[in-house]
Amino acid sequence: MRELHMMFARPLYLFASVGVMVLSTFFFLTLMKGGTAEQMPVAVVDLDQTSISRRLIHEMQATPSVDIRLITNSYPEARKAMQQGKIYGIFVIPEGFYSDLVAFKRPQLDFYITNAYTVGGNTAYKQMLTMVNLTSGAFQREVLRKKGLPDDVIMHRIQPLAIEGHMVANPWGNYSVYLVSTILPGILGLICIMLTIFAIGFELKMRTSHAWLRAAGGNYTVAMIGKLIPYTLIYLILGVGCHLILYRFAGFPVYGSTARLMFGLLLYIFAMEGLGITLIGLLPTLRDALSIGTFYAMLGFSLSGFTYPNMSMLAPVKALSYIEPLRHYYLIYVNEALMAAPIENSLPNMLALTLFMGASICVAPRLHRALVYWNYPLK
Amino acid sequence: MSNFKYPIVKAFVAELIRIFRDPGVTVIFIVATLAYPLIYRAIYWNEQITDVPVAVVDLSSSPQSRAFLHQWNATPDIRLTHTCTSMAEAEQLLRDQKVHGIIYFPRDFARQLADPLGQAHISLYCDMSSFLYMKAIYLSCNNVMLESMRNIQIDRYEQMGVDKHFAWALVQDAPYTETALFTPTGGYGSFLIPAVLMLILHQTLFFGICMLGGTAREENEETYSFSSLIGRAGACFTIYYGMAAVLLGFLPRLFDIPHIGSIGDILLLIGPYLLAVIFFSLCVSVFIRNRESGLVLLVSSSLIFLFMAGISWPKEMIPDAWWYIAACIPYTWGSHAFIHINSMGASLSTTGTEYIALWVLTGVYFLLACGLFYIRRKKLITEN
Repeated sequence: MRELHMMFARPLYLFASVGVMVLSTFFFLTLMKGGTAEQMPVAVVDLDQTSISRRLIHEMQATPSVDIRLITNSYPEARKAMQQGKIYGIFVIPEGFYSDLVAFKRPQLDFYITNAYTVGGNTAYKQMLTMVNLTSGAFQREVLRKKGLPDDVIMHRIQPLAIEGHMVANPWGNYSVYLVSTILPGILGLICIMLTIFAIGFELKMRTSHAWLRAAGGNYTVAMIGKLIPYTLIYLILGVGCHLILYRFAGFPVYGSTARLMFGLLLYIFAMEGLGITLIGLLPTLRDALSIGTFYAMLGFSLSGFTYPNMSMLAPVKALSYIEPLRHYYLIYVNEALMAAPIENSLPNMLALTLFMGASICVAPRLHRALVYWNYPLK
Repeated sequence: MSNFKYPIVKAFVAELIRIFRDPGVTVIFIVATLAYPLIYRAIYWNEQITDVPVAVVDLSSSPQSRAFLHQWNATPDIRLTHTCTSMAEAEQLLRDQKVHGIIYFPRDFARQLADPLGQAHISLYCDMSSFLYMKAIYLSCNNVMLESMRNIQIDRYEQMGVDKHFAWALVQDAPYTETALFTPTGGYGSFLIPAVLMLILHQTLFFGICMLGGTAREENEETYSFSSLIGRAGACFTIYYGMAAVLLGFLPRLFDIPHIGSIGDILLLIGPYLLAVIFFSLCVSVFIRNRESGLVLLVSSSLIFLFMAGISWPKEMIPDAWWYIAACIPYTWGSHAFIHINSMGASLSTTGTEYIALWVLTGVYFLLACGLFYIRRKKLITEN
């Protein structure tokens, strides 16, 4: 068909979009070494400077989940290092720690973390708790050991209550699993909406739409389908490829049905195409439609709720999130990949995605008129 | 001297006119730059996520487990919304996303607590569809657990006849305080918005300059003289200095997110940041053939710049190869410098590494832009 020829005559956009997708996939899969932030650099301020404080620091350093980057006897120095972004937490051993400890005076330990970097700060916080517990348990352990109690009894004595944490569907707490699983489809969706708007909008901008309609025998539907088939094929290849890489090669978990998750992705691709047609139909100027489409799709990343949950958003913002196809794809992903939920749970979202496709039919008369009469501003 | 100055002033004025005559660019430079922060502020309105719904499966149904639940329910982070008789029922709720966590007390919970040598277990199931759910559920439960654990230990020692004071010294020989420095609320918005403000400046400027370059090329109006380079940079700098002062100096105050840095330092930081971004964008714009191409770049680069800079994902966990690439992007240094100053109250000298890096990038991209403009001009002349 005519479009194939045009597509290859202007290969830049095609390569650009395939390139963007490949680059993004590669980037996000390699960015997060291992996907879990285990240790963040922290500082210890040792104001006590005794053998016991030094032994304590030594013990902390030996703990694999703790990374002590700076040991100093000056709190301002540690604080400055934090302001420079070199460390995410400060652990202070007070002056007179040793003498107070042996006198049962319960010396106070202080730790400071920064929330200016969320993941870094949280990881440092967990690390600090480990360090405090190391310190706190050590004394009791010594006393009980001297009494001749066996280690497992000591363990129960020190910790009579334990929480077993279960991270449902992502047992390793892998950050990249939850991030990449939504970001990559999001980027694919952006490409879909942009290329779709571009493919149609370019005809309008260059006033070549009459030739296009002629090639389709004057039939709007044939013209539209003919134009979009090659692009759709590309999106589908990218989508399936992305899916295979994530869930086959990178080993991301799918607890439910892979087929339904894939189906969700296909619906999402069609929804983004539908949105693209709708936008260019409403705003037949290429540039305006393209800007609005990009803006719309970019907001989807924040509104979908995969980093910052929707339940904490204001009601109007929450309402807005339902007109973002990415939100629906994300919910299908949660249902299928993480929760292994029955299909009823995903059906409303699948239906919503279908509605986005349907919207493109509503603008058909308007878009048809634009193609025929060029009744829109050029610039 | 005036011979030299005059074309620069002319180019400067011409560029200003071009910017304000082009509605697309004006919208990007002024409207988008001001509107985006408001939208992001609206999305991340609630700093903390609170009242995450949690289901309870309490097979022990003992006073101890009820006391634990009562205490946990009192924390702002979670809300116990459903009481289930079996795990299957609770899992169903989790699957339907009615709850985002399950707490499970086994049948022998109270018995193990009563046994002086026993260890009681609680199982906690967290929905991993968002990390913030896990954080809210897990940390608050852990705190309640630590507190009740200490009370249990004290009770047990007292039963053994140990003096209460000594028992406390045993159980918690060194109590601790925890303090979140600089940003006490520690909300998601407080963390993300400063980084987003810097990204908005970076990307709107980048996109706008690429758009201007692309349009000029489409209309064959490109000029690549040295004075046009300076004039164009100067025009963007003039407009953006004011915009940046509003975004970085005023908006954190308006939004009530942390702003403990000195305004003077922020104003000083804006200079090299904008210059680095402008020359970086001018370098890229030489390769832009038409107006819309910039959009492809904008879309593909925004998320990558944000993640590569090591803000969301800590920079310590970014592979070296990506980090070297990130070091070439002004955003990387600018965002860290702004967070250090604005959110952690660092002085400009404290964040000197980032500040100097921005000047270095300004210099490098300026020279590169001069080179690229020179090559492009030669090519245009030979073409004509």
